[in-house]
Amino acid sequence: MAVNLKTALGPLELDHPVINASGTFDVLEADTVLEEDLFARFPFAAYVPKTVTLAPRAGNAPPRLYETSAGLLNSIGLANRGIEAFIRDDLPRLALLPVPVIASVAGEATEDYGVCAAMLDGRDELAAIELNVSCPNVELHGRALGLDPAGTHRAVSLARESTSKFLIVKLTPNVTDIVEVAAAAVDAGADCVSLINTVHGMVLDPWSLKPVLGNVTGGLSGPAIKPVALRAVFLVSQAVTAPVIGMGGVTTAQDALEFLAAGASAVAMGTASFRDPLAVTGVVAGLAELMEERGIGSVAGLSGAAH
Amino acid sequence: MDAGLIPAKLFECQVAESRPVGAYRQLALVAPEIAYLAHPGQFLMARLAGPALDPLLPRPMCVHDIDSDLVKLLIDPVGKGTAALAEAEVGDRLSVLGPLGRGFDMEGEGPAVVVGGGIGVSPLLLLTRALLQRGREVRCVLGFRNRSQAVAAGLFPGAAIDLLTEDGSAGRTGLVSEPLPGCLVREEGNPAPEIFACGPDAMLKAVARIAADCGVRAQVSMDTHMACGIGSCQGCVIPGPEAYRKTCIEGPVFDTRDLKWQ
Ligand SMILES: Cc1cc2nc3c(=O)[nH]c(=O)nc-3n(C[C@H](O)[C@H](O)[C@H](O)COP(=O)(O)OP(=O)(O)OC[C@H]3O[C@@H](n4cnc5c(N)ncnc54)[C@H](O)[C@@H]3O)c2cc1C
Ligand SMILES: Cc1cc2nc3c(=O)[nH]c(=O)nc-3n(C[C@H](O)[C@H](O)[C@H](O)COP(=O)(O)O)c2cc1C
Repeated sequence: MAVNLKTALGPLELDHPVINASGTFDVLEADTVLEEDLFARFPFAAYVPKTVTLAPRAGNAPPRLYETSAGLLNSIGLANRGIEAFIRDDLPRLALLPVPVIASVAGEATEDYGVCAAMLDGRDELAAIELNVSCPNVELHGRALGLDPAGTHRAVSLARESTSKFLIVKLTPNVTDIVEVAAAAVDAGADCVSLINTVHGMVLDPWSLKPVLGNVTGGLSGPAIKPVALRAVFLVSQAVTAPVIGMGGVTTAQDALEFLAAGASAVAMGTASFRDPLAVTGVVAGLAELMEERGIGSVAGLSGAAH
Repeated sequence: MDAGLIPAKLFECQVAESRPVGAYRQLALVAPEIAYLAHPGQFLMARLAGPALDPLLPRPMCVHDIDSDLVKLLIDPVGKGTAALAEAEVGDRLSVLGPLGRGFDMEGEGPAVVVGGGIGVSPLLLLTRALLQRGREVRCVLGFRNRSQAVAAGLFPGAAIDLLTEDGSAGRTGLVSEPLPGCLVREEGNPAPEIFACGPDAMLKAVARIAADCGVRAQVSMDTHMACGIGSCQGCVIPGPEAYRKTCIEGPVFDTRDLKWQ
């Protein structure tokens, strides 16, 4: 049986269901460091660069990383050179990728979601825009807009008014009811939701008993959060009609299979690319084998099998 | 050989030898391509091959030495990642990405003062060999906590060595920063001496200050927590004069003038 790995997120057609998670794969750097010709053979089905904000952000004080049990705690702090540098320097190069490019934007002020979406709206290089609603918000004294349905609704509405691009909203799991937040995002005009962002956490230095991270707390990712993510995908995909991109600990082909079965139309890999920058290649090949073994011929036939 | 920007690849390398060097463990990996390409000061991202998810990520490890097809690591088991690597047995396979980062610039002509602290001596062995091969005068100032760590000083060939320990159990008692200024005196008509250093942050900070005071160039290899090693995660940054610098691709070797020393 030939397995068809093609999938779609609305109008976005993907050759297979595995994309990268924002902030975990910098193709412009990786292409110079790795021997692999990433522009000729790009292993993910779409490319999502690091989140950009209106003004450049230096990011949090180091240390920014610490490995936990089968997980990674980070507090990068959305370090980026700002949306203007992204449009000027990065977009023309990213346009050369053989896959759809999805820009990720976040707002430090609520209105930035509208401003950034408007700045990207006319860019032909972009197939879609992903809103990262986990950025510390200045009006809320550093609380993220995405932490409640009303804040999420405001951010998404402003972006929706400013762009006709396919709009993805990336949800944070650090909420009481992620289904309610997903529904608010879709109600405000989101075409698709991606989930989950990292889970709030912290680690102490075993000797000094002080927080290891310069920012004190951080976000947990990797295999340790997979059950949290799988539950969120399972619940959200049944509650909203918009397609779901599932992520959180996807490391093996079996993980990808399970996220699709839980209701995702595509999955994203983040931390796993730190373990092996080309791990995605094995996941895609392995996914086809696992589907074949189970007599599942297409991603559409797999998506939501757990419901 | 360039000090960086050689394309890196992912390899599965067999452990050919494993032996204790005092408190440290030296592994030799069969890695002919890395052995051919790697430049002193470059590093690898290494973990045990296989599906185990804890430890999850590879750890940055300097290229410690090269012997024909073998690439050697020197490991200080300080936590779970380094302990897992140190316990690798002959025949085990490691997943290794490399060579990575920018190594030491060896183009200068003055006498080289190689300064190492603790496991920071790891990249300095290959560096010392390369400097000697270029006909440069090399003096090593190596400091350790105790005698068991100081065994690593015995690895260094054919260079003058000043050995120090903090507890006085081997060599002189004290820190490398104490004898260092005396090694930097410029001889009449000769090019100025140059420092190459790797070790704990406090030591590198002292080295940067001494280099500035004595007006000599110092290159230091920085140690930070790293996740990807290839510039993706922005986790390994350290402060530069204006902006954060990525240790993995802009370093790990920096000129001390290109960093901010609080
Ligand atoms: C470019 C580069 C080259 C390196 N080369 C070598 C080498 O040749 N040999 C070698 O033994 N080590 C080397 N290191 C350091 C090594 O990578 C770290 O010690 C290792 O990542 C720690 O992981 P762990 O799981 O063993 O410790 P963890 O479980 O992460 O931590 C255990 C303890 O060590 C401390 N710690 C953790 N990471 C570091 C760190 N990077 N520096 C200082 N303290 C830390 C923690 O605070 C904690 O107290 C290098 C680092 C870099 C950046
Ligand atoms: C180092 C690091 C940086 C990240 N940066 C971003 C970012 O800029 N924007 C974003 O939306 N998510 C960011 N994330 C979250 C990931 O995209 C992803 O949602 C999360 O890590 C869960 O997936 P994983 O377990 O596969 O890593 C980051 C995660 C990590 C580990």
